[in-house]
Amino acid sequence: MESSDWELVQKCQAGKIDAFQELVSRYHQKIYTVIVGLLRNREDALEVAQETFFRAYRKIKSFQGGSSFYTWLYRIAVNIAIDSQRRQKRNPLDFRETMDGLFEEQNEVAKDPFSDVHDRELREKLVSAINDLTPEHKAVIILRTVEGLSYKDIGEILGCSEGTVMSRLHYARKKLQQKLSVFL
Amino acid sequence: MREDCERTRESLSRWVDGDLSASDAEAIRLHLGSCAACDGERRQLEKLEFSLKSVLVSDVPRIDFEPFWAGVRERIKKKPSRREAIMEWSRSTFTPPALVWTVPAVIVVLLGVLSMNSFWRLGWQRNNFAAVESIDAHGRNVALLREDETKTTVIWLYQNQEGEDESSGENAETTPSF
Repeated sequence: MESSDWELVQKCQAGKIDAFQELVSRYHQKIYTVIVGLLRNREDALEVAQETFFRAYRKIKSFQGGSSFYTWLYRIAVNIAIDSQRRQKRNPLDFRETMDGLFEEQNEVAKDPFSDVHDRELREKLVSAINDLTPEHKAVIILRTVEGLSYKDIGEILGCSEGTVMSRLHYARKKLQQKLSVFL
Repeated sequence: MREDCERTRESLSRWVDGDLSASDAEAIRLHLGSCAACDGERRQLEKLEFSLKSVLVSDVPRIDFEPFWAGVRERIKKKPSRREAIMEWSRSTFTPPALVWTVPAVIVVLLGVLSMNSFWRLGWQRNNFAAVESIDAHGRNVALLREDETKTTVIWLYQNQEGEDESSGENAETTPSF
């Protein structure tokens, strides 16, 4: 039977690195997806994702199971990503360029779900509108839309109340809607 | 805009997320059924959610686990440099809430020094006591002054004037006479 996260955490705390490897295999893709959304750069996201697991490993002895392991992990990831984004202050165009490159790759290898010109334009505008959000607003959108996390979990990850999560989500969606009103 | 339209639009985001109570969700559903404008708003929001998901999820490449894990493992095995170790220690020690202990600890130490002096008359300040301690590299100091006759204690935080050299700060540690 598959071990629960908490059982694996306890094994990690006892020094078993195999248990940590199992936790990494469970969450690496999810963490990477969230960080790509926040950082807008795939290479940087890979670095930050690895750093997230490294820091989690170092701090795992302090994890007491008060929250679920994944909220704890997401919290580390989001903090590092927001920190790194603020430090680097990269040109937002990086993401558009990276994502444009990806769209072209997809066109070559698979059918593009946004093959229609209108949808392609919508996608470009959407990426640009996401880039214009603050890191905090971007984080709530990503954690809710991509991960489908509850307001309570998002609040735990971002260190704010459920009410704040709610209002940030409302504001971020309004902003995106305004910028994309022609396409929606 | 009608009042119920306004209320509906404020809650629409939570409705889409399924975060409303059953009765509130039902009220919204009924309103949407009878109000084309609010229903249009709902459609926009749902399309936005769908598009966001498409962009944020389907565009992220799958990453191979093995090389990813190798990168993490390499970091774990790497011995941190002296600088990294110091940074890590200071981060864990001097960030709230870890920092909370320092204020009472400093007060206890200072009071302890004062008590020792008044009970045992250590001799290094028979009547009055003064000490200046530098807190950090930015010229901030704490001065402790104790006047024995009136039992007055003053704890004074101050910063060196800009341009004041280090030696003047060190000189300040000498015990002044009252």
